[in-house]
Amino acid sequence: MSPASAVLGGGLVLAIVFGAVASRSSFCIMGAISDARNMGDWDRMRMWLLAVAVAVIGANLMYYAGWIDLSRSVYQRPVVPWLSLLLGGTLFGVGMTLAGGCPNKNLIRLGGGSLRSLVVLVFLAISAYMTLKGLFAQWRTRFLDPFTIDLSAMGLDNQGLASIVAKATGLPHAQALLASLSIVGAGLLLAVFRDRQFRSQPGIAASAAVLGLLIAGGWYLTGHIGHGENPDTLEIVYFATNTRTLESFSFVAPTGYSLELLMLWSDRSLHATFGIVSVLGVMLGSLLVALATRSFRLEGFASMQDLRSHLAGAVLMGFGGVTAIGCTVGQGLSGLSTLAPGSLIAVAGIVCGSVATMRWLERG
Amino acid sequence: MQFTKELDASGLLCPIPIIKAKQALAALTAGQVLRVVSTDPGSVRDMKALAAKTGNALLEQVSENNKYVFYLRKA
Repeated sequence: MSPASAVLGGGLVLAIVFGAVASRSSFCIMGAISDARNMGDWDRMRMWLLAVAVAVIGANLMYYAGWIDLSRSVYQRPVVPWLSLLLGGTLFGVGMTLAGGCPNKNLIRLGGGSLRSLVVLVFLAISAYMTLKGLFAQWRTRFLDPFTIDLSAMGLDNQGLASIVAKATGLPHAQALLASLSIVGAGLLLAVFRDRQFRSQPGIAASAAVLGLLIAGGWYLTGHIGHGENPDTLEIVYFATNTRTLESFSFVAPTGYSLELLMLWSDRSLHATFGIVSVLGVMLGSLLVALATRSFRLEGFASMQDLRSHLAGAVLMGFGGVTAIGCTVGQGLSGLSTLAPGSLIAVAGIVCGSVATMRWLERG
Repeated sequence: MQFTKELDASGLLCPIPIIKAKQALAALTAGQVLRVVSTDPGSVRDMKALAAKTGNALLEQVSENNKYVFYLRKA
């Protein structure tokens, strides 16, 4: 089996599992923010932290073992576009709260029969693609991306925590990596499991851990199995990814690329990728669960206001998710799993945007 | 079941049902009952959590097709 086929097939399977688990469990990052803010319930925040902990440990152990090179991922670039990450994250957070959830949630709802989510995803795809290559890209590159912190000027060739620790302490990178993954991983696990109520719910802990493993699985698939020699050019490449480097789950740009592929199918330069099959897979996983539980139901918009909110949310998520180099899953799980400080900036933006929107919804 | 006020959150998605339920409960006096109607499957978990965390008892929860009805009593 060629590396490209393995990445596509493996990606589809992992994504179907992701969709099935996410739709059955209560895992939801917007839900975590809502629970904490509206009810003082931190269980879903702990689920998020647990998923991140497992992803951090899994991804960085593989990095340590030399199976994957996380420093080549888009999250680790040494030039940190802090304004894009912060503003993009904030706009994404606003958007997801208006649109009933992030793109992953909307893919799950689509699998359950929601035509409302289908509309959200199409507009999100258009907005994302406009932000990757169209009108919004012009605005992004002119007004936001130029604001950067250049870590390479400080002698770092990536923004990974391990590199920063190595530079600061003089430790070799490998040791700094082991120390970083241990301290962050252990710290997160402690924060999660010291709560007795959370400990008494093995089901939600298990589903969060599985999602974390799937993130690590994505890195392994694209970064190890999909990394090899291109038989035509004899160059070492990463096969079947849109970013041309290793990736894990992310849903804004991939939704845009999925629409592009559907529209320009006969263009030989376009191919299916890990990102594209993961969009399909999550939807399929949710569809399978919906059919198995007989809960598949067509659903539309509730009102004019509902339509407006969802359209606005979709466009904001498309712009914000690309500008911030990732969404709740892309930055909130995959990005954080690489221990990139930039991902913290994006996530902070997402949380602030979402909380501000909940406050606004309360007033209206 | 008897109730004092009804909140119809049909068609609305997380986090709106829970935000509106909280607001509606705040406007009630102790012992009064709020009936919430929702079509978002996520609201089942949300209302249970709201009841558990805020002390407003979830008296009853009825699910029918894709309609979920909750009776919450203000503490």
